[in-house]
Amino acid sequence: MSNYKHIGKDFVPPDITGKVTGKARYAEDFRADGMVFARLYTSPMAHGRVTNIDTSALDGMEGIVGILTADDVPAVEAPNAAILTNTPVYIGDPILAVAAEDEKTAEDALARIRVHIEPMPFTVDPLDSLIEGGPNAREEGNVFSRSSEGSGFRTVKWTPQQIADFRAGKEPTGEWVNEWRYGDLEKGFADAAVVVEEPFVTTGYAHMSMEPRTAMAYWDNGRCYVYGSAQSQSFWIPGLARLLGVEQKDVVLISEHTGGGFGSKIGAYPIAALPGWFSKKIGRPVQLRITREQEYYIGSARVGFQGWIKMGFAASGKITAADIFIVEDIGPNATGGDASSAGGAVSLVYDPESLRFRGLPVLTNTTPRGAQRGPGQNQIAAVMAPLMDKAARQLDIDRLEIRKINAVNNDSTVYENQEPVTSAYMKEALDKGAEMFDWATKRNKPKTNGSKVIGIGIGQGYHSAGTKGFDGLLRITPDGKIHLHSGVGNLGTYSYASTTRAAAEVLKCDWEDCVIERGSTDANLPWSSYQAGSVSIFAHTRTNYVAALDAVQKMKQIAAESLGGNASDYDIDGKNVFNVKNPRQSISYGGAAARAIQLGGSYSGAVYPDDIHEITKRSVERLAGSGLIGVAKDNLEQNGVIPGLACAFVEIELDLETGKYDILDYVGIAECGTVVHPQGVEAQMKGGAVWGMGMASLERHVYDPHNGLPANVGYYQCGIPTYLDTPLHIRTAAVDLPDPQNPFGARGIGEPAMGCSVAAVTSAISDALDGHVFGRTPISRDMIINHVAEREQSFKPLQTNNF
Amino acid sequence: MEIATYKNDVWGREVLLGVSWELLWLVIVVPFVFIALHAIFQASRRKKEKPSSGGERVRRHDGVDRLFHWVMAASVFVLLITGVFPIIGINFSWLTIHWVAGIVLTLAVVFHIVRSLFWQDLKSMWIAPSDLRELSDTTRKPGKYSLAQKGMHATVAILTLMVIISGLILFAMIDTPWWDRSNALTEATLGMMFFLHGVATLALIALICLHIYFGLRPEKLFYTRSMISGWISRDELAANHDPKRWAPDKSV
Amino acid sequence: MASYDVMPDVQLYQPAEMDDALELADRFGRDGWILGGGQDTYGWLKDRAKHPKAMIDLNGIEALRGVRKSDDGIEIGAVTTLREIIRNETVNAEYELLALAAGRVASPQIRNVGTLGGNLSQDARCWYYRRGLACYRAGGNICYADSPQGMNREHAVFGASRCVAVSPSDTAIAMVALDATMVVQSVDGERLVPAERFFVGPATHITKMTSMRPGEILTAVRIPSTWAGARFYFEKVADRDVWDFALVSIAAAMQVDNGTIGDSRIVCGGVACTPHRLRDAEKALAGKSLSDETAEFVAPLASRGAKPLNYNHFKLPLLENLLRRAVRG
Repeated sequence: MSNYKHIGKDFVPPDITGKVTGKARYAEDFRADGMVFARLYTSPMAHGRVTNIDTSALDGMEGIVGILTADDVPAVEAPNAAILTNTPVYIGDPILAVAAEDEKTAEDALARIRVHIEPMPFTVDPLDSLIEGGPNAREEGNVFSRSSEGSGFRTVKWTPQQIADFRAGKEPTGEWVNEWRYGDLEKGFADAAVVVEEPFVTTGYAHMSMEPRTAMAYWDNGRCYVYGSAQSQSFWIPGLARLLGVEQKDVVLISEHTGGGFGSKIGAYPIAALPGWFSKKIGRPVQLRITREQEYYIGSARVGFQGWIKMGFAASGKITAADIFIVEDIGPNATGGDASSAGGAVSLVYDPESLRFRGLPVLTNTTPRGAQRGPGQNQIAAVMAPLMDKAARQLDIDRLEIRKINAVNNDSTVYENQEPVTSAYMKEALDKGAEMFDWATKRNKPKTNGSKVIGIGIGQGYHSAGTKGFDGLLRITPDGKIHLHSGVGNLGTYSYASTTRAAAEVLKCDWEDCVIERGSTDANLPWSSYQAGSVSIFAHTRTNYVAALDAVQKMKQIAAESLGGNASDYDIDGKNVFNVKNPRQSISYGGAAARAIQLGGSYSGAVYPDDIHEITKRSVERLAGSGLIGVAKDNLEQNGVIPGLACAFVEIELDLETGKYDILDYVGIAECGTVVHPQGVEAQMKGGAVWGMGMASLERHVYDPHNGLPANVGYYQCGIPTYLDTPLHIRTAAVDLPDPQNPFGARGIGEPAMGCSVAAVTSAISDALDGHVFGRTPISRDMIINHVAEREQSFKPLQTNNF
Repeated sequence: MEIATYKNDVWGREVLLGVSWELLWLVIVVPFVFIALHAIFQASRRKKEKPSSGGERVRRHDGVDRLFHWVMAASVFVLLITGVFPIIGINFSWLTIHWVAGIVLTLAVVFHIVRSLFWQDLKSMWIAPSDLRELSDTTRKPGKYSLAQKGMHATVAILTLMVIISGLILFAMIDTPWWDRSNALTEATLGMMFFLHGVATLALIALICLHIYFGLRPEKLFYTRSMISGWISRDELAANHDPKRWAPDKSV
Repeated sequence: MASYDVMPDVQLYQPAEMDDALELADRFGRDGWILGGGQDTYGWLKDRAKHPKAMIDLNGIEALRGVRKSDDGIEIGAVTTLREIIRNETVNAEYELLALAAGRVASPQIRNVGTLGGNLSQDARCWYYRRGLACYRAGGNICYADSPQGMNREHAVFGASRCVAVSPSDTAIAMVALDATMVVQSVDGERLVPAERFFVGPATHITKMTSMRPGEILTAVRIPSTWAGARFYFEKVADRDVWDFALVSIAAAMQVDNGTIGDSRIVCGGVACTPHRLRDAEKALAGKSLSDETAEFVAPLASRGAKPLNYNHFKLPLLENLLRRAVRG
């Protein structure tokens, strides 16, 4: 449908070869002269106070270079995570580090260190903390609320009766701290023909980054060089500088490749600053490579929900009211906010006429939480899908139809303030998916074959998928090469590269003439957004667009200046700037660049716009005089919510005797505006599908409530789906209708790609079991077996972090 | 040699694991060395004439007390075999037999305590200061029980109570037909219970070795007979006991 | 709390002859670690949860490899890889139960290097034990899994005694069903142990999974022809299709004549510390036909006497269902 040269076309991102050949360098692959290896000693207790650290056994031990404790690093205010701490709040909270000439010596040293810790009360299930007399995860309280009006600790307790009622599925009557609403909820329920009401649990689980977070650091001329494992690139700098106690200009981040972050490496995390502090103390480069086990402690996890939802449906199928109450497991560092996002997702995806969200963020002594793909949106997607099915059955409406009736569209208004959306084509996505999946035929297929039952499900995913206001930067050198400076992190999605193709598109140049500059602050990168929240495609096709427009305008001006006429007389063809009336009157891109260096000023980067970020300014200053500089802040118009949407259709065959199911068919449809990078979208849709399958039936935190121990400290115990657990063919497609607020019509897709999957699977399981709603993720084999055998589940209602 | 063994608890803190079972050889070797020396010493001495077991018999132990003794002895043997053999590498399914025998021992001991408090002459087993004269004056004859017997009884009583109490606490920490185990004890306390149970066991092993040895010594064998048949002869009484301090009135 | 992932110092011996291996095993005793495919070795060592002084690698001993026909059945060398077993013609033709079981072990990658001996001798997967805690199985005085709040979904419903870990081996249940004999050697000679007695429970051996003694090496497994070509059924239910251990598994060998069951050996995994034979069901099946009726008749026998823990009562209906599936027509 488009005549783009690059947008919507596949390409080979430049780091692919290294990844395939093994030459790609990750943080732990870097070495520096005199580098030593650090190892972490972490808390064995879920909550405690360090009273003594005895390292005397290391005295005189060969190869030991130094020890770093909490006293050597800045203290932080609770509940934020410290680099090292003397009051650990979860098992695995870092207490000290030892540096040695080699890793084995460092590990040997750890075995000899004696740390005395006084145990303190702890909790691994929010409801155990919420009940009167229950333990608080932190001395300051058991609830921490972050809001624009002010953040702070609270101690909130519910009576045993209130807890019991909540567990029994009744509307919670205990105190909550966050609330927002729109519309007339009471009227909505009064108007409803059908009301569905269910309690639910979505258990938290690890981010599972394949690369355990590693960092190496050294100091040179007052600047700290950090080789880190980062999802984002430029976005890390302010946080990293803060953690290291230096100015932004004195931090260099090198992060060429990242073995997955999934939300756990969005911004600079405390442990990434540890080598910097250690290096400062001992005067040698320090590499800290944490173990896989420690990655499960420190590497963060998805927020868990224990909630209650009630929805009213008009006879037409339209949702008239949605009432949501979520107790949110925000771990020990009060990181989350997923619950409110879940409320937002319900308001957007299903566009109810009225909605009330109430939330209570409760602290637990479990792995710190972090945004994980669709934080909040994907948990609630899994909850919502079987409820939509339940309502459809009660209303005798087709399950696809009820979703279409409530589908977000261009006229929808969403969230608390009922904002507009930039564009939304959920109905089109559902139609496309239904056709590919052949919903009409599959819904009428016989269901049972011996002990096996067919279930089909539909899921819908959403995450806001864009942001604005970042900078674009490119440079054309006299050799005709176009250097696309990308401050976008290489988290594995290739968005660092695909977004630069927006600039190539504007410049109409061949991709072969482009060089992506990335991976290190010293590669002179612009200020870029975080690589999370599905924002990169929207945000950075815009920044590359504006930078390229700036470069094009400058080339035209140079052409006019050199060849006569006005800039408006000139156009570009990818190699040359030429006079539209007289194409022979032209100057090559390289020629224009050479001329830009001569001219100086804004052409060469000696002068730059005032409104760009200080990081971009520094980059431009260093680049000044080396070519024609295209640089600009994204000031393009943007208003309303930018939705990334997806839907999925799943057919499963569930064995009632074993609780096991196979996915027979999976169709995922992306609704992300114009597709910028087809392979990228496909990979996102497939990866998201697999992740959703894991969340739906396998992945969960398990903690022993008696001693606070986590059971999931390795890949095996975490139950991630393997290649052989997922269908061989996952079919994907995209709606591919442009969004008006992106120059190329693009929006992001990363997170919804997973939400639609987990939702479709929970929907299909419910369908296979005659509409039974488990109200829980994951739905494990034992739950299905117990349900079919009409046995009680092993866990208490609403219990979380359990098998 | 260590007396105790240690382990890390669930939170990595060093706590008692139990007694060091390397001491087992010590509590067997030491009594046997003593026994050997004692036997040599006794053999080197001029033998006193053994009192006749014939003639009139007097009752030393009632039937019920003899029954108690042998029930206790049997249960203790079962407990030792089931408790110690697996430690020295003779593996079998021991736990259930062990706790059943433990219950038998506990019931027997409770019975014995109640009986001795209300139906028996508690004083006859009581170690009085005057008994200590037996140590210096070898001509002084004891009442019903010699100081050595009283001492043995008192030590065994303390150790048995220790092993029973620690055993009952440990019993609460395993699944049984009546209850599932609890988490009531910290691992440190649990380790202490195992330690006490083990220490008492080791001491009992040493004492039992001695007890058996003395029970089988020719000059003391009549006591063992009395624990089986209940009686001793008037001659044996006269030779070993002070009639003023113990005058069994019942003849059999 | 330290965390480790660097291989500690350990001597590696790679004998080429069986006698040398036996001598080494004898010399190191408890401090020796017999190495097959290493799939249940390196984790223990890198985690520093086990501390052998020496690894005795059997992979260089040719005599321990391969499937051989014997006078009465077959003999499989202990370091034969699971992949070799899965692909062996004789095994597939006559003892398919073993091929089916071996084919469900772990993942294709692990089956490529994992050995039969290693799979049979592997240690318990209880997550508390694997964490390196000083539980009963590790020589301590407590079980963390069988506690009032213990997380024990994957643990035993039969035959627990203080420790509630289960036998994780997929091939073990097949070996018991096939009435195999383990060939165990030491410098003192050879010991033949019936598969059923090879695996030991916590009541007798709380720190071991097998009756192997220090200094001994499992060299081969002999499968008698008794069950060759019998009717077999194998099924493993785990959370994942690959790289997972059985929640419950079943291996059944049945002599069936004209649809009527004669002798049978039905063994379950994942429910007890050892392969768990369903003897009541075996007895009840004798003389019955393979049918849905028989399945319904015997199914309740599978879970008789089970004692579920906090989180694993689902294993009871699952066990019954697997027995049903094994004996349906």
